[in-house]
Amino acid sequence: MYYIILSILFPVLSGICLLVRKEMKNRRNLLWTTGILLTITGVLVMLSLYTWQGGMLALFNLTPRLPILFKIDEVSVIFAVMAVIIFLCAGFFSFVYMKHEDKEKRYYGFYLIVFGVLLALCFAGNLITFYLFFEMLTLVSMPLVLHSGTREAIMAGLKYLFYSLSGAYLALFGLYFIERYGNTLTFSPGGVISSQTAAGYGAMLLGIAFAMLIGFGVKAGMFPMHAWLLAAHPVAPAPASAVLSAVIAKAGVLAVVRVVYYIFGASFLRGTWVQKTWMALTLITILMGSVLAYREPVLKKRLAYSTVSQVSYILFGLSVMNTDALTGGFLHVLCHGFIKAGLFLCAGAIIYKTGKTRVEEFRGVGKEMPILMWCYTVLSLGLIGIPPMCGFVSKWYLAKGALASALPGFWWIGPVILLVSALLTAGYLLPVTIRGFFPGADYEYNALEKKEPSWLMMVPVLILTVLSVAIGLVPNELIDYLWQMIEKVL
Amino acid sequence: MILLVIAIPIIAGALISLIPFKERRHMEILLEILVIVNSLLVLYLLVHRPAHIVTLANFTGNLSIGFKVDGMSMVFAGLVASLWPFATLYAFEYMTKEEHEKIFFTFFTMTYGVTLGIALSANLLTMYFFYELLTLVTVPLVMHTLTREAILASRKYLYYSLGGAAFAFIGLIFIIIYGSSTDFVLGGVLDLEKIGDRTNVLLLIYVIAFMGFGVKAAVCPFNSWLPDAGVAPTPVTALLHAVAVVKSGAFAIMRLTYYSFGTTFLKGTWAQTTVMLVVMFTIVYGCSRGVKETHLKRRLAYSTISNLSYILFGVTIMTPLGMVGALTHLVFHAMMKISSFFCAGAVMHQSGKHYVHELDGMGYKMPRVFGIFTVSSLALMGVPGFAGFVSKWNLATAAVESGNGIAYGGIACLLVSALLTAIYMLTIVVRAFFPGKDFDMETLSGIKDPNWKMLVPLFVFTINMIMLGLWSAPFVNFFADVAAGVY
Repeated sequence: MYYIILSILFPVLSGICLLVRKEMKNRRNLLWTTGILLTITGVLVMLSLYTWQGGMLALFNLTPRLPILFKIDEVSVIFAVMAVIIFLCAGFFSFVYMKHEDKEKRYYGFYLIVFGVLLALCFAGNLITFYLFFEMLTLVSMPLVLHSGTREAIMAGLKYLFYSLSGAYLALFGLYFIERYGNTLTFSPGGVISSQTAAGYGAMLLGIAFAMLIGFGVKAGMFPMHAWLLAAHPVAPAPASAVLSAVIAKAGVLAVVRVVYYIFGASFLRGTWVQKTWMALTLITILMGSVLAYREPVLKKRLAYSTVSQVSYILFGLSVMNTDALTGGFLHVLCHGFIKAGLFLCAGAIIYKTGKTRVEEFRGVGKEMPILMWCYTVLSLGLIGIPPMCGFVSKWYLAKGALASALPGFWWIGPVILLVSALLTAGYLLPVTIRGFFPGADYEYNALEKKEPSWLMMVPVLILTVLSVAIGLVPNELIDYLWQMIEKVL
Repeated sequence: MILLVIAIPIIAGALISLIPFKERRHMEILLEILVIVNSLLVLYLLVHRPAHIVTLANFTGNLSIGFKVDGMSMVFAGLVASLWPFATLYAFEYMTKEEHEKIFFTFFTMTYGVTLGIALSANLLTMYFFYELLTLVTVPLVMHTLTREAILASRKYLYYSLGGAAFAFIGLIFIIIYGSSTDFVLGGVLDLEKIGDRTNVLLLIYVIAFMGFGVKAAVCPFNSWLPDAGVAPTPVTALLHAVAVVKSGAFAIMRLTYYSFGTTFLKGTWAQTTVMLVVMFTIVYGCSRGVKETHLKRRLAYSTISNLSYILFGVTIMTPLGMVGALTHLVFHAMMKISSFFCAGAVMHQSGKHYVHELDGMGYKMPRVFGIFTVSSLALMGVPGFAGFVSKWNLATAAVESGNGIAYGGIACLLVSALLTAIYMLTIVVRAFFPGKDFDMETLSGIKDPNWKMLVPLFVFTINMIMLGLWSAPFVNFFADVAAGVY
């Protein structure tokens, strides 16, 4: 039971130790240390998931009525497992990638701290604990964004910081009210709004719910507070972008899940203006992200725009509030997590090996590194949603859920936008493959040199690719598990 | 006993300039011992409270100079007594680079006694007396460097404070006439029969007196003296202009609201609305000016302006919970702000840098100071786990509980201000630790962390900020008792 505490404290403390201690003479030592620390953390998380027996783990009280407590439920499991896999993959990937950046020790230190804080977010048992680590996450992940130290990176880091903080404060505004009008701050499936104290305050509470959605939505890059993501994700080193896009943006999703289904309750919000406005915002974000990605020439930025769009798929699924849409949303959490991390790592490997960043420069990249490019292609197909890849399964359920929705108008607009966006996704991801594998008749095959990245870079990408395919091929176990959870919250 | 703790610092301060010390060290040791002894006496006094009022002098009628220890006094006197020894220790090191040390320590120590006088007064008249005295003993401290800037600032300070006190005096007169006595009684002393149909006049007087005392608490539009007064040596800015003097203003307003006029009389009236709107405006105004300011100490001074209005916001909610919030922020903000000011002072002392844009890369040269500065920034922003979160939580939940629509707006102001706080504090932190790729560390050679006299106070405050953030229950419960009138 106390493995939870360990799995949170261990990475945070070891990260702090890394930051504080003197520069290591040997780069290899640093990598070994970090690798071992990351692995131990992964093992600790698995142990804590495995040994959990239910109940809650209350630590202490911030003020008389604010306990810090942890618990593990199905949502925690999904997010924690995803976080561990992606953090380990991207971590080992960075051992090669970070060779061409300075201040590696600082990078690994903050990487570990972010890992710990993120796990704490997954395991948080009440809103105040969640909020605590949500703010911490912003503060400790900012150094990853501004790592390269260029003026652009520092500005992007600050933008990230201030956007996220304003979101967090908007959410905090709601938190004060929930403390008053809810029975408790502990996450409970179905919501905690007290029917007695809240009677007559329904309209106000809806406003509060909307504020919290927008506030937590900042981290998930939901329109209108998405601008930071486009600036911050591309400037970070590639493995950090992978983590930021695939996992940290999901912290916003996790927050929305907690607020909607575990604090307010689906029945409280269903059919209200909040649900409609929220759904409209997610649809706008989906379309906008895809269009922007389609027009963007730099691969990493293109992937960041794609994140904006894809994370809103998940939010759209959550906003529909029925079983199928929720299943689709949660599947897409995993699916987008693995795929986007894999894509960013591919982009990183290309940058590391060739220094090319713009899509039009990628002519012949596929000839130079075929395995990597195949991974990229498979991942892309997954994100587009070609059967039998995982994106197809998640989008299938999303569309099915949306069609079953009772909301006038939205039941058909939603699926249409999903389809249009899938087309655009193909339009912005596949040109890389096409240029990479089909450089054209005038390509100098004689000058071709094999540049396939080392196994330490390849293996993480392969793992992520295999996982994304696996979810698509055998989703039924997972879907059963999701249904158990959804049954409780709806 | 009460008289003793007020008298010791005043007399000691006066004597310092008379005794010819052979070495600086002797003065330091003697002064530090005196301050510590006095603080211990204060703490002893707070634990063993005398039950009755100690009257020093009786004037005509029911006017008297008297002292007593009640809940509010315990909070404020305890706060002042625990901070002063550390600030004195810090001042010893800081003042090595300034002249006229003796004069400085004379007035610095006297201020201790006067502030305790405010904290321990039993009635409005006594408090008013010490309030005026506080202005007079602190003017020389602001003027200390004797530059033209300092003299202008101290003149401004003097005029503002005296003007404010004059308005507060009007309030005093009305309390004498329309109250049953001038003593502080939780719930107020106004005699409703005497007031008759002159309620609106009394409310107007409340607003006037609020703004009068508000001058010291730097309520907008009477705040411009505070950033200017930052020309004083840093121990003064840190202790007096972030804690003792400005909090005397807030303390006086709390006395006026909860103990003289009484919340039952004020709550729900236009007077409450007016003062609440004024402090809400000040909260946002102070922070916005802080963001624009590039001088480090002036930036912190603007932050003080905004944070003082947090306290006053709690006061204007006019419920026991609001008072709890105000008291929490009164104490917690003292820790946070004195710590950030001391960091700023340490930077100025060690490197002579005064402006924010000069601080690039300093985090690597002074890691301890900037580490502590980071903690105090996070605390001021209200990140959970640090002191600022708890006080903000208490203020905001009190506002929600009160059900007052304008107070909801106040919560929004608090959060906007938290965001602005993040902007003006964290840009400094980011500069210090992430100077950018092309930054040349050689330009900072020779700069290092200060010695233990500066670091010990800083470490103590940091530990306090974290402790209070993680485990505030005993304090908050105590404040709740104070607001319920247990003491």
